[in-house]
Amino acid sequence: MGIPDENEYDVRYTTPKDHPYLQKWMEMEENRLWYPVSSDKDVENMSKNWVGFYKYGASLTATYKGEVAGIATLFLMPYRKVIHHCLLYFIVNPEMTGQGVGTSIVKNITHLGKSYFRFEWINAEVWEGCPALPILEKLGYVEVTKQEKYIKKKDGTYLARHVMQVNLLEDSDGK
Amino acid sequence: MGSKPDVTFRPTDKKDLTLFAEWLLQPGVLVGFPMMDRREVEDAVRLWTHYIDKGLSITALYKKKPVGAANLYLHEVEKMAHQSLFVVILDEKYRGKGIGTLLLKEIVKLGLKRGLEILHLEVYDKNPAVRLYKRLGFKEYGRHARYLKDAEGNYYDKILMQMEIQ
Repeated sequence: MGIPDENEYDVRYTTPKDHPYLQKWMEMEENRLWYPVSSDKDVENMSKNWVGFYKYGASLTATYKGEVAGIATLFLMPYRKVIHHCLLYFIVNPEMTGQGVGTSIVKNITHLGKSYFRFEWINAEVWEGCPALPILEKLGYVEVTKQEKYIKKKDGTYLARHVMQVNLLEDSDGK
Repeated sequence: MGSKPDVTFRPTDKKDLTLFAEWLLQPGVLVGFPMMDRREVEDAVRLWTHYIDKGLSITALYKKKPVGAANLYLHEVEKMAHQSLFVVILDEKYRGKGIGTLLLKEIVKLGLKRGLEILHLEVYDKNPAVRLYKRLGFKEYGRHARYLKDAEGNYYDKILMQMEIQ
């Protein structure tokens, strides 16, 4: 499915005003499972840290009919030996999932990572069974590591962590 | 290695942080770490304060002198609190005496005491400690190619290992 009315859809840089949307979506049980958060306090901490990357121009917000529809952010690395790559997180308004917003913002943020930040590759971490996985695969992200039992659910079962990566270098062997 | 080295352990004191920075800044050591210079090392070491406060850091003493340390980066997020990343650093002058092995065993003990099920670590390509980790039961589960890039443009892979401790 695509965006219902393309003329009403836009992608812009994230601003601090987008934070309440992110926090609200992350607090929802169906989303909370897929991010590194458990309590409301975790959500508050992570969402603040997440939106904070707007200061570096590393975060994009999708809007539909003027409302925030999704956020994709490149978490920049703190040390110079690792500034050639970053970690991607994204989230879609639960009322707009399945309409192409996720694909659009990941495509846009990947382009920003390549053309502006000159990253050599981008990693995205997702848990086993996460609905974001097919979006990443569709856009060329491939699994580089799988860490078993990374997440322990309330029922005592575990989920693996997949690290997905897209290579942004021009030549085929990525060197 | 013969007889057991004269090593004892105690919870890390914040005063030890200066030593950690010194050990990391010994020639050649930073090749195996993401930090590049003193400023980045001091920044990284400062972050350990939080873990020291929570009793998650151990200092090894050789003949009563601090010579190494290990730290558990225990998650506060409940669903990830069963596993932890850890790091070990050792004063270069005291390598090859079996202190690293004892320190690792001590951090496993601390992990068990804190209810951990899994310990994992990140080590960079060509680091001889990989052999020690393997010997103690850690298994490689993945590798991030070209994870570090030094000032000369050389790349180093990040090797990811983990072990179930209970």
